[in-house]
Amino acid sequence: MNEHTGFRRSLETIGVALLAIFLGLLASSVFVIIAGSNPVDAYQRLFCEGFGARGCETFGNLLVQTVVNEDTGESQTVFSPLHGTGGHSLALVLERATPLILTALSATVAFKAGLFSIGMDGQFVLGALAAAFLGYWFPAQLYTLFGVTDPELAPEALKTIMHIIVPAVCLGAAMMAGAFYSWIAGYLKVKLNINVLISTIILNAIAVQFVGYMVNYPLRSDMNNIARTARIDETAWLIPFNRGLFANADIEWFSGSRLGVGFIIAVVAAVLVWYFLYRTTRGYEQRMVNGSPLFARFSGIPGTHAMLRAMLISGALSGIAGAIEVIGVERRIVDGFATAGTGFDGVLVAILARESIVGILFVAPFIAGLEQGAINFQFGNLPRQLGNIIIALIILFNAMEYFLRSYIAAIWRKRHIFSGKSITPAPTEASS
Amino acid sequence: MTNAIEMRGIRKYFASTQTLAVDGVDLAVAPGEVHALVGENGAGKTTLMSILYGMVSPDEGEIFINGNRAHIKHPNDAIRNGIGMVHQHFKLVPSFTVAENIMLGIERNRAGFVNSRAESDDVRRLAAEFGLAVNPNQRVADLPVGMQQRVEILKTLQRDARILILDEPTAVLTPQEVNELYTVIRKLADTGRAIILITHKLLEVKAAADQVTIMRRGQHIGTYPVAGLTVNEMANQMVGRTVLLDVEKTPAQPGDTVISAENLLVAANGGVPAVFGVSFEVRRGEILGIAGVSGNGQTELVDAVAGMRPVESGEIRFLNQIITNCTVRERRIAGMAHIPEDRMDTGLNLKTTLDENVISTAYYREPFSRGWRFQFEEVRAFAQRVIDSFQIKSASVKGSIRTLSGGNLQKIVLGRELEGHPKFIIANQPTRGLDVGSIEFVHKTLIAARDAGAAVLLISVELEEIMSLSDRIAVMYEGRITGILDGETATEQNIAILMTGGSLDDAVHAGAVS
Repeated sequence: MNEHTGFRRSLETIGVALLAIFLGLLASSVFVIIAGSNPVDAYQRLFCEGFGARGCETFGNLLVQTVVNEDTGESQTVFSPLHGTGGHSLALVLERATPLILTALSATVAFKAGLFSIGMDGQFVLGALAAAFLGYWFPAQLYTLFGVTDPELAPEALKTIMHIIVPAVCLGAAMMAGAFYSWIAGYLKVKLNINVLISTIILNAIAVQFVGYMVNYPLRSDMNNIARTARIDETAWLIPFNRGLFANADIEWFSGSRLGVGFIIAVVAAVLVWYFLYRTTRGYEQRMVNGSPLFARFSGIPGTHAMLRAMLISGALSGIAGAIEVIGVERRIVDGFATAGTGFDGVLVAILARESIVGILFVAPFIAGLEQGAINFQFGNLPRQLGNIIIALIILFNAMEYFLRSYIAAIWRKRHIFSGKSITPAPTEASS
Repeated sequence: MTNAIEMRGIRKYFASTQTLAVDGVDLAVAPGEVHALVGENGAGKTTLMSILYGMVSPDEGEIFINGNRAHIKHPNDAIRNGIGMVHQHFKLVPSFTVAENIMLGIERNRAGFVNSRAESDDVRRLAAEFGLAVNPNQRVADLPVGMQQRVEILKTLQRDARILILDEPTAVLTPQEVNELYTVIRKLADTGRAIILITHKLLEVKAAADQVTIMRRGQHIGTYPVAGLTVNEMANQMVGRTVLLDVEKTPAQPGDTVISAENLLVAANGGVPAVFGVSFEVRRGEILGIAGVSGNGQTELVDAVAGMRPVESGEIRFLNQIITNCTVRERRIAGMAHIPEDRMDTGLNLKTTLDENVISTAYYREPFSRGWRFQFEEVRAFAQRVIDSFQIKSASVKGSIRTLSGGNLQKIVLGRELEGHPKFIIANQPTRGLDVGSIEFVHKTLIAARDAGAAVLLISVELEEIMSLSDRIAVMYEGRITGILDGETATEQNIAILMTGGSLDDAVHAGAVS
């Protein structure tokens, strides 16, 4: 019964997610109608802006699109996700999804150890700060060390080495910053049994304010209207695809985005986290502590160590996310970056994905696309907040999992009866 | 005469677990009759009664109350139809008084203010009418379990219940309380009420019931007058095969002392001492049973011995090593195994799969892992071995264990704990909530472990279990061991006296006087 049931459960989970999305959109239409627009048109626009290629007009265009070749005037039908004249939204979506994937992994690692840490935001901004500072300070030190006065004239060999070392140092420092910050909450939990949810909320507030202060005062680089740190050195960049490996390939698909090494790091991290959680004894310890703390204690599983380790890994992942956002995308921290709440979106992704690693890889781009679409969204007199409303409602409906699942189970049962399969009785815990 | 209750062709399928919990069951109970409903775990007894009480809606079937068709969709409908239920886990508000609990939801009020004096009077009158003495103004939290049950019964009577469902009513009672309960049940039946007794203790059926309905795997096996049926016949019908109720065992051949405790003082969760200076020793090849009504310090004692709770003072020696402050893992490495009281939360992790459950005490070492990496071949082979050698039905290595029955869950625990021939086994309520077939299996397994040379510490609130398995019996009362008896010569009466704080000298004395 088990393999079969497992497969059925996965199908059900996907069904629940799709149903929640549908219901979320349905409920959001109330707001669209109040604003005086047609929901179908509005959503078409939203999704095209979020996920479509240029020229996307309808839901159908998300998959298939007719394009006119400018030279010959011929029109041809193409598969939209792979078609990208002047850049494809999907590349932007994946760029936006990168920090979401990492922070969602971060949340998942903590959740799986039974710690409801939502400290991703604080760890994220501290990681970003570490990377932003080292991104210009560390190369400057190296240039001085090697007697280079003008970075433009630095020897090629030095630059090549720096292109590897500097990003690595930035990522490593961000990891440590995030891990340390997360460890504080873990330590408070283990030693003083302080609720992780509460300590991380407070730690988030402290980190966000601290980063805001650092950007506005000690690390402020110029007298620009909006405070910002110095631009990181070019050697600190995580190379985007369209400049690095594929610079000469001229692939239009991601020409407009900074999608790059950062995304690869996120995907690799997902694989590593999965391997760690499900294939190593340490991951096993963490999951058992979550499943039942009593069981872990009874079995002699070192729960304290497992919890602290989970918090360290969780913090490191969020720290990396912050670093990637700085050295891969933003190149500097501008005032307001810290309060954007990117880390918290990762928590939402983790919850929506039900702590499933594969789920995160799908949910993160979906949420990123909705955010992306909402930002570019201009339709009638609809505000861009519509995107956030839709996301919130989808999460709300997704929380109704139990109800939706029983609804889907009812459909299954009908199918069973129609297909004439007999139902065999088996002992349960229904009776004690 | 029309039946007080009649259920016809009740059928219920649970989609979530894909089980047909109740399959076309009929049940008829006459007024004034005590009707026992017996069956193994998962036989559908509780589901059937939940349907009668309106907590579960049936897929098919009809219910007649006093000959009239009744539609029971909610417990409120059931109460309106004169059905009352006393659940296994009492549903009382501990901080309320007896009267407040009994009158909950039907308060006597004056302009919206509760008239507590009138409530107390009502309760007193009710209690007098049925001869169930209670103090209406006492807080429920301060009452012993037997009295709490009495409050539950009064609660149903206040709502004019003509049909009373009692779910496993004796599970938490002392032998004396059990006898009092039987008297109350009989008295209530004599007033023309119909009583349904859910149980899997067959001796209880013999002692209290007129009729018995036996269920197996959701089906109605038969309804018989209790007088015409022996306990063994009932057991065989319940399980569907011949079971051995009496445990077969040879006399113990105790060897060296394996574990000894000296003057243990252990605190309960709030820091209040729960175990006061307990000393005992268990030798190789012997079962020491600890009898006692639950809540007399057994849980704390076991936790301390197993390393899950700190010892305030005293000393525990295991194989001549002092292990008083050792961790659980250190004790397990030394050869200690523990079958916990609560297999759902402590003994197993129901959120995960069978293989991850059976390796929880040894996952960190070979052959299950090397360094951080699991050796999945070895894990799978071991899990399969547990499934095969313990005959765990409808389980698979990678399967979820959530839907398994209590007996099968306990087999998983046994499979894990008995791996590698432990030198000392703590078995805390090893058969709680299990059906006859599984109890037989657990008992045989423990005896086999004893015969293989293990020392076994058996803690149980079931007197019969203690008496049939133990080579020596220690009795606990209020955190102390009030006496250690020889397993061969101990009588139920002697143990019962010690369990309730009496002393055997007094009993002998009293016996001589009367």
